[in-house]
Amino acid sequence: MLRLLQQEMRSRRGAIIGWGLGLSFFPVVYLGIYPAVAEEMKSFRSLMELPIYQAMGMTMASFEGFIASTVTNIVPVLLSIYAVITGVNTLAGEEENGRLELIVALPIPRWQIATVKAIAIGIALFLILVIVSAASAFTFLAIESQVETAVTPLDIFFSLLAAWPIVMAVGMISLFLGAFCPTRRIAAMVAAVIVVTGYFGSNLAGMISSLEKAQILFLFYYYDATADALVKGQQTSHMLILLAVALIAYGLAVYFFQMRNLTVAEWPWRKAKIA
Amino acid sequence: MTEYAIETQGLTVYYGRHRGIIDVDLRVGKGEIFGFLGPNGAGKTTTERVLLDIIRPTAGSASMLGLDCQKEGVQARAKVGYLPGELSFYDNMKASQFFQMYHSLQGDGTEATYWQSLADRLDLDTSRKIREYSRGNKQKVGIVLAFMNKPALLILDEPTSGLDPLVQQTVMDMIREARNDGTTVFFSSHNLPEVQAVCDRVGIIREGSLVATERIEDLMKQQLKRLRLSFSSMPPAAAFGQEGVTEIERDGQTVLLEVRDNLNAVLETAVSYHITNIETESVSLEEVFLAYYGKGNGGNHA
Repeated sequence: MLRLLQQEMRSRRGAIIGWGLGLSFFPVVYLGIYPAVAEEMKSFRSLMELPIYQAMGMTMASFEGFIASTVTNIVPVLLSIYAVITGVNTLAGEEENGRLELIVALPIPRWQIATVKAIAIGIALFLILVIVSAASAFTFLAIESQVETAVTPLDIFFSLLAAWPIVMAVGMISLFLGAFCPTRRIAAMVAAVIVVTGYFGSNLAGMISSLEKAQILFLFYYYDATADALVKGQQTSHMLILLAVALIAYGLAVYFFQMRNLTVAEWPWRKAKIA
Repeated sequence: MTEYAIETQGLTVYYGRHRGIIDVDLRVGKGEIFGFLGPNGAGKTTTERVLLDIIRPTAGSASMLGLDCQKEGVQARAKVGYLPGELSFYDNMKASQFFQMYHSLQGDGTEATYWQSLADRLDLDTSRKIREYSRGNKQKVGIVLAFMNKPALLILDEPTSGLDPLVQQTVMDMIREARNDGTTVFFSSHNLPEVQAVCDRVGIIREGSLVATERIEDLMKQQLKRLRLSFSSMPPAAAFGQEGVTEIERDGQTVLLEVRDNLNAVLETAVSYHITNIETESVSLEEVFLAYYGKGNGGNHA
């Protein structure tokens, strides 16, 4: 199984480097320009009191708020795009392009194949975050002397790495949809809807007091992208909930991958019973 | 111990309301080469995929080497080499890396470099990335994968598709040698001369149902005869309208018939019209096959 995992990682090598460096550009630029725009940002204090910014945890008037608004808030959303792509392509994509047929014809239980692929997704997402986190921490190290803040490079590093549970949940939901839906396209569409509603639903529900309780239904509610989280870290209970979502989605992916007919692009309930 | 390498009983697969295969009872003996024939969409690939537990049956059962294909699929597949009809690999890998990975995943005791001797035999350069290969070389990769664990059962879907005639011959030799070593070979092909040359028996599947399972020579002897009959006075056009009899041509005083059934009635009719000569012509497997499907209306090709 190690060989299969190696191959899974090899096939993701380009994506890990590409997404890692591409996403790093984002925090590196925002951190790099902060000393030059710090005074300007303070003038946004009144603007940031608008409910929409409050709801999204955007408080650009301080360094912590600026980084939370521009980096820790956005990186998980962007990385979720990769999580959807790789999650959906892992089973549904390989089934459509025919690669899966040779693998499932091997003397390996299907649950092991799905598990190796889930592990590969988790490692890939983690490594991308390590690259982004390290690039951000090193950039902050370079400007640290020009910024008034209690935040340390390690805080930056770990605050970005703490996005792993949310992107892992998105990746596993996409893996499950790839195992459940008849085609990659349907799986990708549903996964994209879940991510978009998960992000905007959480923020919008936070703006309307009568809908506040509904926030718990949205995935991104469990990822704190506010300035507070930069220093205090994510809530452990919320991280555990995201990991539980990932685990349940992985379990469903294994279940449906195990039970369905492969190579025929059909819904699992059209699977015939074994006589 | 079962005497069959493959055994299916009442095997039926429906995709929703669409027919896959219906009530297929198939027995392939150990050590034989079995050709599985049928037009596109007849159910050949569905049958193979059920054997490999890629598709689950709606009804019936399937076993390979005495092991249930669904309940004991992992153990069964450990003894099987498979070449799918449509090949797709990890194109970013070199063929040698792919063979090494596949060998480790097969988890058998075959020597780790046996694939190299197979690749050499097929003249396949394994140092190149798979994406650089032609269609024929990718087919060679698939053939090496199927043979590399020295399986007890080979399931091959169109093994010579895309190969040049010399390599086709090599593959046929490999199949014969595998049989001589005790391997059972189950393969589907549209190349009927090749099936005729190498198979012990064939099964013909039509619209999801197995319509015939015969030894090649029996199939050709019993199922289809071509008779050229000469008469002193030509019988009328409708004289040979019996079921299972097709008049191919009339020329002067001769009539050419293909006879699948009612041979006695044909001969009685011929005698009644004062037959002067009778010749039998040999028929190829292809002609037998076409007779099963009826030229031009060969069943549902969905």
